[in-house]
Amino acid sequence: MTKTQKILFACFGVYIGVFVLLLLIYGFTQHKNNTFQIQNEFKLVNWVSLGVFSINRAVLYLFISAVLTVFTMVWIAGRMQARPNKIQTAVEVIFSLMRDNITRGNMSDSMAARWFPFLGTLFLFIWFCNLVGYLPLPTNTEEKFNLFGAHIPSFALYAATANISVPLVLALVVFIAFVTVGIRTQGAVGYLKSLIPAGVHGPMLLLIFPIEVISTLMRLLSLTIRLWANIFAGHIIILFMAGGLAVILGLQALGWFALPAGIIIYLFELGLVATLQAFIFATLAAIYLGGAVTHH
Amino acid sequence: MLAALHIIPIAASGITAGFGIAVGGGLGAVGAGVGIGIIFGKVIEAVTRQPEMRDEITSIQWLGFALTEAVFFYGLVAGLLSYVLK
Repeated sequence: MTKTQKILFACFGVYIGVFVLLLLIYGFTQHKNNTFQIQNEFKLVNWVSLGVFSINRAVLYLFISAVLTVFTMVWIAGRMQARPNKIQTAVEVIFSLMRDNITRGNMSDSMAARWFPFLGTLFLFIWFCNLVGYLPLPTNTEEKFNLFGAHIPSFALYAATANISVPLVLALVVFIAFVTVGIRTQGAVGYLKSLIPAGVHGPMLLLIFPIEVISTLMRLLSLTIRLWANIFAGHIIILFMAGGLAVILGLQALGWFALPAGIIIYLFELGLVATLQAFIFATLAAIYLGGAVTHH
Repeated sequence: MLAALHIIPIAASGITAGFGIAVGGGLGAVGAGVGIGIIFGKVIEAVTRQPEMRDEITSIQWLGFALTEAVFFYGLVAGLLSYVLK
C-alpha cells in the first residue's frame, strides 16, 4: 500500500468513525425544526429604504461584481507587458475566448467589431456575478452571531444572478438589442419575414409564423431561467448538503454524511457551472444578434 | 362510505405539498439525463473518429451540455411554480 492510499483510507476511516459516533450520541431521533426557514437564506432585506432603489443584498452583490469587473480589467489593461506574467496570460486567454469563440464565431467581422465590447462585458459581468456568489460574505442580516460582543451578520452564499430579476434584466437588454438590430437592418416587415424559415409557403405560413414569433419571445424566458435556475439550484443544493438538511430534520449524523457531497457540488459549481453559464449567456446573445441580420 | 370520501381530499392535499416539485424535478431530470448522455456519448464517438477535431468538438460539447442541462431547470421551475401557486 502506498502512502497516498494510506492517507485516503485514514480519511475515510475518520469520516465513517465520526458518522458512527454522531449516530451513537444523538441516535436516529428526529426533531423537526420549524423555526429555521430555508427561504430566509434568499430573502432580500432592505438595508437602506429608497423605494424602488432600496439597497439590499442583491444590490450589494451587483455593486461588488460591477466594481470587480471594471477594476480588474482596467488594472490589468494598464499594466500590459510585452512579456506577460501569469495573470496577464489568463486574461489573454479569456479575451481570445470572448473575441474569437463568442463574438467572431457567430457574426460577420464588421458586426463583431461593433458588438464585441457589449458581449465581452456581458460575459465578464455575469462571470464575476457568479464567482462572487461562491464567496461566503457576512450579508445575512436575518441571523446574526456574536463575536466578542459585536453582532456580525452570518456568512452566507448569495449571488446577484440567484435573484431572478438580474438575469431577467440582462435578458431584456439582449432581447431589445437583437430585435432593434433586426428591425434596423431589415425593416420591421423584413424582420418579421426573416423569422419564417426558408421554403414555407401558402397555408403553412399560418401555422409556422405564430410558432416562430412565440419561439422568439421565449428566448427571453429561456435566457432568464437558464442562468437564474442554474445558479439558484446550485446554491440551494450546496445549502442543503452543507447543513441545511440536517438543521431542518434535526439529524446530526445526516449532516456529517452529506457534507462531502456539498463540497463536491461546491467545486463543480465553482469550476464548471459559473463559467459555463456566463459563456452560454454571452454565446446565445451573440447567436441571436448574428441571426437577427440574416434571413433564415 | 361518506366518511371514507371525506378523508380523500385531506390525504390528497398531504401528497400535493411537494408533489409538483417532485414530478417537475424528477421528469426534468429524466429528460436532461438522457440528453446529456447522448451528447457526451456522441462527443466520445466523434473524438475517437477524428482526434484532430478535438478542440472544436469540445467547445460545441459545452454549449450542448448547458442547453440540455437547462431543460432540467425548466422542469424544476415549473414544479416550484406549482408548489408556490398551490
